[in-house]
Amino acid sequence: MEVIVKVLVTLLVVAAGAAAATYDSINRDVINKKVDRKLDISSQLLKITNKITLENGGSGAVRSFLLAFTRQEKENLSYLNAQSGGTVLKFGEARVQEHRDIEFYKVELKDALQPGKTVNVEVEIIMTQLLEPYPATIQQGEKQLVRYAGNHYVLSPYTTTTQTTTVTLPSPNIESYSRLKPTTHTDTSITYGPYDGVAGFSEDPMNIHFENNSPFLAVTKLERVIEVSHWGNIAVEETIDVLHIGAKLKGPFSRYDYQREHNSYSSIKSFKTIMPASAKDVYYRDEIGNISTSHMRVQDDAVELDLRPRFPLFGGWKTHYKIGYNVPSYEYLYSSGDHYILKMRILDHVFDDFAVDELVVKIILPEGVRNIVLETPYPVERLPDTLHFTYLDTVGRPVVSVTKRNLVESHIQDFTLHYQFPSILMLQEPLLVVIAFFILFITVIIYVRLDLTLSKDDATEAKMRVSSYCEQVHTHHDKRARLYEKLEEELQKLKSSKDVAQSQTATKKIQATIRDETQAIADIGAKIRADSAEYAEKVLELQKLDKILRDSVLQQLTNVEKLVAGKMSKQQYMDADAPLHKKKEEALEKIKSILGNI
Amino acid sequence: MSAPVLNYRTRGWLRMSVEKQDTLLKMAVLSLAAILSFSCRLFSVLRFESVIHEFDPYFNYRTTKFLAEEGFYNFHNWFDDRAWYPLGRIIGGTIYPGLMVTSAAIYHILNLVNITIDVRNVCVFLAPLFSSLTTLVTYHLAKELKGPGAGLVAAVMIAIVPGYISRSVAGSYDNEGIAIFCMLLTYYMWIKAVKTGTLFWSTMASLAYFYMVSSWGGYVFLINIIPLHVLTLMITGRFSHRVYVAYSTLYVIGTILSMQISFVGFQPVSTSEHMGAFGVFGLCQIHAFVDYVRSRLNKIQFEVLFRAVISTVAVTGILVLVVLTAMGKIAPWTGRFYSLLDPSYAKNNIPIIASVSEHQPTAWSSFYFDLQMLTFMFPVGLYFCFTKLTDENIFIILYGVLSIYFAGVMVRLMLVLAPVMCILSGIAVSSMLSTYMKQIDDVKTEKKKAKFEGNYFMRSEIATFFVCVMSVFLVMYTLHCTWVTSEAYSSPSIVLSARGHDGSRIIFDDFREAYYWLRHNTPEDAKVMSWWDYGYQITAMANRTILVDNNTWNNTHISRVGQAMASTEDKAYEIMRELDVDYVLVIFGGLTGYSSDDINKFLWMVRIGGSTEKGGHIKEHDYYTPAGEFRVDKEGSPTLLNCLMYKMCYYRFGQVYTEGG
Repeated sequence: MEVIVKVLVTLLVVAAGAAAATYDSINRDVINKKVDRKLDISSQLLKITNKITLENGGSGAVRSFLLAFTRQEKENLSYLNAQSGGTVLKFGEARVQEHRDIEFYKVELKDALQPGKTVNVEVEIIMTQLLEPYPATIQQGEKQLVRYAGNHYVLSPYTTTTQTTTVTLPSPNIESYSRLKPTTHTDTSITYGPYDGVAGFSEDPMNIHFENNSPFLAVTKLERVIEVSHWGNIAVEETIDVLHIGAKLKGPFSRYDYQREHNSYSSIKSFKTIMPASAKDVYYRDEIGNISTSHMRVQDDAVELDLRPRFPLFGGWKTHYKIGYNVPSYEYLYSSGDHYILKMRILDHVFDDFAVDELVVKIILPEGVRNIVLETPYPVERLPDTLHFTYLDTVGRPVVSVTKRNLVESHIQDFTLHYQFPSILMLQEPLLVVIAFFILFITVIIYVRLDLTLSKDDATEAKMRVSSYCEQVHTHHDKRARLYEKLEEELQKLKSSKDVAQSQTATKKIQATIRDETQAIADIGAKIRADSAEYAEKVLELQKLDKILRDSVLQQLTNVEKLVAGKMSKQQYMDADAPLHKKKEEALEKIKSILGNI
Repeated sequence: MSAPVLNYRTRGWLRMSVEKQDTLLKMAVLSLAAILSFSCRLFSVLRFESVIHEFDPYFNYRTTKFLAEEGFYNFHNWFDDRAWYPLGRIIGGTIYPGLMVTSAAIYHILNLVNITIDVRNVCVFLAPLFSSLTTLVTYHLAKELKGPGAGLVAAVMIAIVPGYISRSVAGSYDNEGIAIFCMLLTYYMWIKAVKTGTLFWSTMASLAYFYMVSSWGGYVFLINIIPLHVLTLMITGRFSHRVYVAYSTLYVIGTILSMQISFVGFQPVSTSEHMGAFGVFGLCQIHAFVDYVRSRLNKIQFEVLFRAVISTVAVTGILVLVVLTAMGKIAPWTGRFYSLLDPSYAKNNIPIIASVSEHQPTAWSSFYFDLQMLTFMFPVGLYFCFTKLTDENIFIILYGVLSIYFAGVMVRLMLVLAPVMCILSGIAVSSMLSTYMKQIDDVKTEKKKAKFEGNYFMRSEIATFFVCVMSVFLVMYTLHCTWVTSEAYSSPSIVLSARGHDGSRIIFDDFREAYYWLRHNTPEDAKVMSWWDYGYQITAMANRTILVDNNTWNNTHISRVGQAMASTEDKAYEIMRELDVDYVLVIFGGLTGYSSDDINKFLWMVRIGGSTEKGGHIKEHDYYTPAGEFRVDKEGSPTLLNCLMYKMCYYRFGQVYTEGG
């Protein structure tokens, strides 16, 4: 097995080498008719927008053209995008045999460029860490100066008919800048050119040394964990390491000056992070707890978080924090049957003009997810899938991890993750809880009933037996009580219906059942006597009282029958009934007090 | 015309026998008490966050984390080079590991069943969890002493008693949090053992004792009070086979087990603190033997033999003890115990002990503050115990009287007093209530009898009145406890909060700001010098090497740091070079009005700095003005104004405008 893998790897390497070895050639027919370059160095990033008008000066159709970068530019290149008339053009790395020291990208045109025709292409380039703090160390109150070393001409393999470069600066304070006529400097911009008839690969060093106090803050590592729950929530947590990459702080930091004089230009006190509008339960902490200095503003389209690190960041200082929030899953998770699609951002906003050195995204999916397919808007490195265990997990949740280096704001784009999830598995977690509680209760029930003593303890056992008998007495008495209630009902019925015969049949039955219950209680009473004479006495007492109660009820019944049959006058009946009722009441009271004690 | 229908049913919806109702009621009260004791300790978590408090808990947290991650053997062999630079500290051999092992075990068990809680949260919530368990144990203990009623009252009382809450709020992750549970558990087992005289309960008591030894140095209290109990039983002529079995088993197994804790080691057989227990163990054997001999001999023979043996044994025993102490085989009593017996001892001899605020004698007001009505119920409980003197009641009387003495000596021992206060008050309240409740009950059924027993005037009314007054007391107690917990014992001290002018809450998080800066922006091996109070926090939160910390085992080293702080800048520089210091951390509260800053502690630095040989040149009176005041303004003594601590704290402070102008 291992051998096969090795062979495969070797084959792949060879194949890759072969692919890389194919060289592109520079098409001499292509001419840059006009290049309009905009260099934005007002933040820590170098943003370049090139508006190129390409002309086909040859006779054959042109399908692609090359973009050239120096090696250093290539290393720091974070984002590249080319578009023509609103459509994004495809591009890929390329090499040219004669110019090994220059890196190329080959851009495929949408439609082949016919001879003599022109096409407008807009190329957007973002590069990081090309602005060098100079001097490299400054004191607390000093302003931060940075130096940009570039090229007066747009580096291109093709001859350029006319080109201009506009440099946007953060402030009018400029130490020095190189001049290549014609050059004009206005408030916060420098314009180089127009230069006419520039040959391909022309270079002329451009140097601008200027003040730039915008935050030079690099995210050295960002780990984004997205935990998907099918119960309606997606939890996002970002662990972020930031480093101030501007001019390093020289000498001491004075809190007094910092608070009172507001002269710490390049230091970073706080920054804004923008989160999705539906984000809630936001937290901001680090290894030692909650960071109490943050403000949250909820806006219509986003939640804006004003984060303040525990201490202001000066050049060379770093910090580390975690930020997390929940979003409802219906905004990002779509499903049809067992098929689900998760559509979320690979990278989210950290602060304005941020640059991330290394990004790791981990997507934790629910347990039981299968057939995972990940689509990303730009190539990323997929790390091996792992398992994550947390509450109520059995086999673990699959984790999809990807990583990418050197990202900027333009990389905030959605990934799409397809997977299958049988909906029956939704029942797994509630069932687990139910089973756990079930087992717990069963254990308790068994434990309570288990007798582990070696020697028999007669007294306790007798006590337990008696209490179980008493429980039975209670049950039987409850039944009896209900029967008495029925009897009373019959009595009332008889009063209104005056149907003696029907009443007698009904009451006979009830009386028979009452006798059964009474007999049952008497039997239990006999059993109790074996263990406890005291309780047996009580049961006897109960039986006696019950007899009184029953006799009174039956007497009442007879009286009513007599009354109905006319053998008794109303007055007589009333006189007879009152003491009976009283008797009943007294008996019941005593019964209750006895039953309360056993 | 029809008579009203009678209610034949004898039972309501709760179809239960009396016993079951009783059990249900007890369970309900107990579970509510346990939940209450857990939840009323969560004020600080709700107000601030789930964070470890104070100083020592940070060390415990750090070691727990280490234990959870590295396993027990690595923990046992852990040499910590982050502390006490350049000496280091052998952590495994210098701590009571019970707390860490408990939390690590909970952590591992929970993670085994995939309850992914992190170590910090286990640590934060451990103390409330154990106070819930304490509630249950208190119930059982008081039940053994008096009955279930007293047990329930005691359980509810201990659930919210501030004297105990002060040390067991969420985040207060310290030994005491579990030690009180262990202590009461041992007492419960001990009382069971004395009552039954079985090996089972005695062995359980020794296991509980082992847990107690593994978790807190306060186990010494326990190993002295149990022998004292046995001794008292002997003197009062209550010594029996039950006590013999219980104590012999407990002493032998307990001592062997306690010696397994490496920090305790051979102390149980070599230090004076443990000698009492050993002596009583011997006495037990003699007493049992004498009882045996007495049963075999006639009275006169026995008298002669008894006197002869007693005198020889006493003389040799004392001689051996004296010789061993002189030879240094038995260590003399350590400073903390001297200060227990003589409150002024520490102040006169060991400044480092006296400098700790929790080692100060207790003020009268704090008894009321921490115990409220229990202070008054305590003697009543004692009275009820005396009225029915049993073996176990003697124990609780001893415990109560001793702990009230110790609590008076040292503030932190209020913790040991609180449980016995609750138990005795539980006994008092339940005894009184049950007495008076019966009088109320009589009214309905036995009105006729009352005529004959006319000695009591309006007895049911008085009883009702008394029960009402008692209820009011109990309600007041609850309100007081909640208020104290919320106001006094629920601030993490690592985060401070204050009210702004507009009533909004201002949070001062300066400690963590400093520690976090150290953590991320200093070299890995940087050495930070600070006063020892902050040592544990710096190692835990900043993860940097420190010179001295809250485990104040080396007085000389602390004194050296004190000298550096109290010396002039050039002298201090020399000392700091000698100690390899890279950073110095001082806490200054002048700007925000935080009173327990380093200037406040400075006199202790001077005293401790001057207490050793090398610091002979540092004299406390140099730091006072001629008038004997400790002033930090321009009239302060020049020595103070030129020392390192003053210069660091008041650097450019004159330019700052504070609220006071």
